[in-house]
Amino acid sequence: MRPVANAPWVDPTAIDRTWRSSSAAPAERDPAVRHDAVLLHDVWWPLTEVGTSTVPGSEPRMVTEGLDEHLAHLGPRPSARDESGRDALLAALDTVDLTGHGGAHVPVAVKWRAALRVDGPLTVVANGAESEPLSSKDATLLRQRPHLVLDGLSLAAEALGARRAVVWLHGDDAGTRRVVQAALAGRRAAGEQGPTIEVVSGPSHYLAGESSAIAQALHGGPALPTVRRPGKPGAPRTLVHNVETLARLALLARGRPAVDTMLLTIVGPYGRHVREVRRGTSLVEALHGSGWPASEAPVGVLLGGFGGTWVAWDDVLRATVDEPALRAVGLSLGAGIVAPLPAGACPVAETAAITAYLASMSARQCGPCLFGLPALAGSVRRLADSSAPRGERRRLVEDLRAVAGRGACHHPDGSVRLIGSMLSVFGEHVDHHARGRRCTGGVVMPVPEVAR
Amino acid sequence: MTRLRVDPVACDGIGQCALVAPDVVVLDRWGYPVVPEGPLRAGDVVAARRAVMSCPRKALWVEEHARDERAVRPGADAVGRTRS
Repeated sequence: MRPVANAPWVDPTAIDRTWRSSSAAPAERDPAVRHDAVLLHDVWWPLTEVGTSTVPGSEPRMVTEGLDEHLAHLGPRPSARDESGRDALLAALDTVDLTGHGGAHVPVAVKWRAALRVDGPLTVVANGAESEPLSSKDATLLRQRPHLVLDGLSLAAEALGARRAVVWLHGDDAGTRRVVQAALAGRRAAGEQGPTIEVVSGPSHYLAGESSAIAQALHGGPALPTVRRPGKPGAPRTLVHNVETLARLALLARGRPAVDTMLLTIVGPYGRHVREVRRGTSLVEALHGSGWPASEAPVGVLLGGFGGTWVAWDDVLRATVDEPALRAVGLSLGAGIVAPLPAGACPVAETAAITAYLASMSARQCGPCLFGLPALAGSVRRLADSSAPRGERRRLVEDLRAVAGRGACHHPDGSVRLIGSMLSVFGEHVDHHARGRRCTGGVVMPVPEVAR
Repeated sequence: MTRLRVDPVACDGIGQCALVAPDVVVLDRWGYPVVPEGPLRAGDVVAARRAVMSCPRKALWVEEHARDERAVRPGADAVGRTRS
């Protein structure tokens, strides 16, 4: 196996050098994917310190759009308080089919109709607790366009008659919190009408951004996932929207194009590139815009983040930034993460590192996750190290079946998806490992260290 | 339509359910219950209820009918909200 020669991301000095001169990032000169951006300017986040929200000195500098600028650009926010405003918004949601951008892509109209059917005090949440370590699009959006997100949250809270409207952030994301609080202060000072918005910093752990964990935390419990059990009618309810979804809602309410683009975090050779890409852009074109050379084809791409799927490079060549089209072939962009695996890297070693990380991030509440994820991670680790006993692969497949769909939240399903895609996309490579061959060279993906 | 459900957060893997309803609940290799995904067969409903009753953690329950997400209550308006 060749060393990872053309992957500057394994060379920290290369990353650092390019990172510091990020104003010359390739996509800045990439009109094909930039000209119809409606949400943000692209930004490079460092590859180091992945998995922590705030590391002083390592965050990209961003210009925050002020309230005056926001209003001059888009005009005042329409109201959704009365029935006609709400119905108009629902009709618009149906027409453009706005779906959630937190990863699950559930149509917003479906969530709203479900919320309107049930009684009980409602809390609407703008979820900015971006737990997927590779992703930084939500922090970027909140820091650049806080008023757009706050408009979306206000609209959802008004339309659904919510009692509370909350911006939910990771506890360690001080940078985003400062921006959002300053924006809220600006709105109060300008006498902006709308629901009162709270900013709540949850814990910083991986599952603190999971919607049932947020719901439980906002009603006085721990920020841990729960299962919805048959409850009393009129019990408190929580509706969680990703911040990008709400920003798009704010555009939609003003009759602006709201769904023609998608925010991506592309793990490039120089850093994590947060950018807005037109829907239908070819994935390869997007990768080139983030600094991936056209000459050296990666082994494949990790699509949708650590809980996503490996995609063979041949399939990447045919793929576009189009969620429905990807879903039709069993793939998903999830929360918009695209992470190529450079030529020469070992997909089994990468999968082992990622599954070990995911196992360490379990809330340790559900047996199939608490015991299943370490079992899965152990199997993949032994395959990567070529220390797997006979039958390891069969055991791994059995455990995937035993874990799938059996957690309170979908955390274990992410590991199942990732490992399942490793077995199908890199089956031959896994065969080599199962027969005792091992790859030299380390893990090239920026996987946070697992605390033991 | 009747379904047997388990709350994996409440479940501690004690295993009583599989003991009293072995035809409906099986345990995985870590000792946690695996319940049928779809509706229960008519002949299994009594056993499922026995499993629910047996759980010291009250982690199991029986759902009588699957909720239809698109169902609109009588008297509801276009967006499904009942006028008061």
